[in-house]
Formats: sequence, C-alpha cells, structure tokens
Amino acid sequence: MTTLIDRYVYTVLRRIPEQQRTDIDRELRTSIEDAVEARVAGGSPPEAAVEETLLELGDPDRLADGYADRKQYLIGPELFETWWRVLKMLLTIVLPIVVVALTTLRTLDEPSIGTAIGSAISTLITVGAHMAFWTTAIFALLERTGVARDELPGSNRRGWNLTDLPRYEPRAISLGELATGIIWPVLLIVALVLQQFTFTDQPVLNPDNWTFWWPFLIVVLLLEAGYAIWLFRKDAWTHTVTVVNAVLAVLFTAPAVWLLATERFFNPEWVSTLDWGTVEPLNWLTGIIIAITVIGAAYDVIEVAVKTERSRRGLPTKVPGTGSEYTNPI
Amino acid sequence: MTTDATLSTHLQELRRGTVVVASLTVLQTPGYGYSLLETLSAAGFEVEANTLYPLLRRLESQGLLTSAWNTDEARPRKFYRTTPQGDAIATALRSEWTRLDKAVTDLDSRGDK
Repeated sequence: MTTLIDRYVYTVLRRIPEQQRTDIDRELRTSIEDAVEARVAGGSPPEAAVEETLLELGDPDRLADGYADRKQYLIGPELFETWWRVLKMLLTIVLPIVVVALTTLRTLDEPSIGTAIGSAISTLITVGAHMAFWTTAIFALLERTGVARDELPGSNRRGWNLTDLPRYEPRAISLGELATGIIWPVLLIVALVLQQFTFTDQPVLNPDNWTFWWPFLIVVLLLEAGYAIWLFRKDAWTHTVTVVNAVLAVLFTAPAVWLLATERFFNPEWVSTLDWGTVEPLNWLTGIIIAITVIGAAYDVIEVAVKTERSRRGLPTKVPGTGSEYTNPI
Repeated sequence: MTTDATLSTHLQELRRGTVVVASLTVLQTPGYGYSLLETLSAAGFEVEANTLYPLLRRLESQGLLTSAWNTDEARPRKFYRTTPQGDAIATALRSEWTRLDKAVTDLDSRGDK
C-alpha cells in the first residue's frame, strides 16, 4: 500500500520534467522525513506528524510548478502591449476588409440578402477566430523562446529616445495617411490589371477600354499616389492642395461615371454570365458604382477644402487619440 | 481589497528577495533543505518549505549554489553550498539592503526637522 508520503511525492513528480524526477524524489522525501522526525521529537504522534508536514507543504501541484519553474501565463507583460496592438489592428482593420471583400465576391456569384448576411457572419467568425488564435499562438511561442520586445520587427533596437516622441502638430497628413494614400491607388491599379486575366472566366471590365480609358485611369491613380507624397512633403493644407485634389477627383470620377452611364464600363460578356433572377444586374451594378464613386469623390473634395479652410484661419485642430486640441501659433 | 489583504501583498513584495540573501549567507557553511528552513525561521525569516525548496534548485541552476549528496549518514541528504559567485551576489544584495535601510531612515529624520 502506498503511504501518504508516497502519494504526495508522486503527485508532485507527475508534473516535473523527467530528467529532474530522480533527484527531486530523493530530496523531497528526505526533507519531508526530516520535518516529520522533528515533529515526532517534539511529541506529536507519527501519523499526525506526517499529516501536518504534508499540509504545511501545501498543494503538490503548486510545489511542482515551483520546481519546474515554468511560465504560468501565456503572454507576459513584456510582450502583452505589442500583442494587443497587433490583435486590435488585425480585428479592426484587416478583418473588416477581408469580410467585405469575400462577402462582395460571394454575393456577386449568388446575389441574395441571405447569402450576403450568411457569408458576412461566417467569414467574420472564422477569419476572426483564426486571426486571434494564430496571433496569440505566435506571441506565446515568442514568449517561450525568450524573444524580447526590442527584437521584434518594427521596434527600434537602439532603445527609446526623446526624438521618438510624436510632434502632434497637425501635419498635412500623417505617415499612416500617406501609406493609405499610396497603397489604395496601387491596389486599384493591381485590381484593374488583374481582373483582365484572373478572378472570373470573363474579364469584369470592358476590354475595349484598354485602348484609352483604362490606361488613362491608371495614370490618374498614379497621380493620386504622387499627390499623397507631395502633400506629405509639403506639410501644409493650402488652396493649391484643394485645387489639385479637386482636379484629380474630377479626372477620375468624370470618365468613370461617363463610362458607367453609357454602359461601356463593364464587359457585356461578363454581365451576361450573371443571373440575379428578376433583377437586371447591369442597372444595379451601374447605380451602385456611380453612387460610391460620386459620394466618395465629393466627400474627399469637401474634407480637403474644410481642412484647408480651418488651417488657413488658424482654428484649433484635434490631435488624434488625445482628446486635446492644438492651435497653430500664427 | 481589505487593508489586511493589501498589507499582506505589500509585505510579500517587500520580503521577496530577503530569503535569497539569507539563504546565500547561511549556506556559506554547507546545509540541506530542512536544516536551512529551521535556521531561517529561527533567525526570524518567514519562509515556507514549498517556496524554499524550489528556490534552492533555482539558485543552483543560476550557479549561485552548488550541491552534493552526502551519503555518509543513514539518511542521504543533498547539501548546498554558496559558490564564490553566490557570495559576490549576496554581498551586493546586502550592501543594497543597508543603503535602502539608511535611505528609509533618512526619510524619517528629514520629516522631523
């Protein structure tokens, strides 16, 4: 029959790496026996001495954790901030984009409110769970391989310095906006070129326009990217900016709307592959795209105009993420 | 959190580390787990067996203690002894302790003025 001491020691050993077991087994037994002996010498009956000693040693699982010296957490305070930031970015920015993109593709194939909602919800849950799981798994792994925060990509190895403090003065555009301003036109160009060859059996957009209008729109998009760079370096909202922005918006929107309205935008052969039941696909697609293009362009022009006007009058501008306002000293 | 619970958390934080200093100092003469436990509690250090035993192995893996099994007696025991590196660390920790003690005392005397 196993004694109480045996049962206690075995319970501890079960949770200890194998190569340490023999040594800890011997040492722990001696320590327990020493303590029991001391209690018996102090006048306790042997059985009570064993019980008291083991109770004092406490939960064998906790003792084992102490011996094994393993991390009792998934992600420690060192990496927590970075993990949280990455996760938030993925779930609030990347996830919505993926959901919208996949839902749009699926709804084009099989247009119904049911498909749209079903696809959106299932993508949201599946992709969201994958993002959360893999991010956490990778960070838990980094935690266990001893990667410090400074070694992660995106952190500066030389350590933090005063020059790293953001200036918070309302620059014309932030670095993030610059990135968006370049990436967005480039994505549109890539999509415009790729739709000719991939995505669908028939090109989505009218191939006849490659003679002039598609290359023209590509040039305008490149100018949009150039405009973002120019604005970032110029560092101020001026009337020139408002005008350039408005001209670019018109250069893009006017041809696009005209092509849509005259039914030269989409490839007729691709439209004929769509079967949306009683709804006429071309009318709907045309209407939706015109609305998005015009509203987007108008919003952009107005936003830039308002920013320029505020900046010109020296009105206080909100500093993003602080709740404070900054007034340009004139 | 009650005041008692708060106090006990802070006491625990304050005491953490003193066991290391005490163990490294006491084990300049070789000793085994239970003997060290006795010595420490007699000297007024509140330490529990389930904290001390894993701690000894951790200090050994850091190279601050060495160990050897003594099989001369009826009950074989694992004896720990402080290494020169452990001595150096203990000295550094104790001088820091003295400095802190003086600093805290100075805070009081400044308030008296």
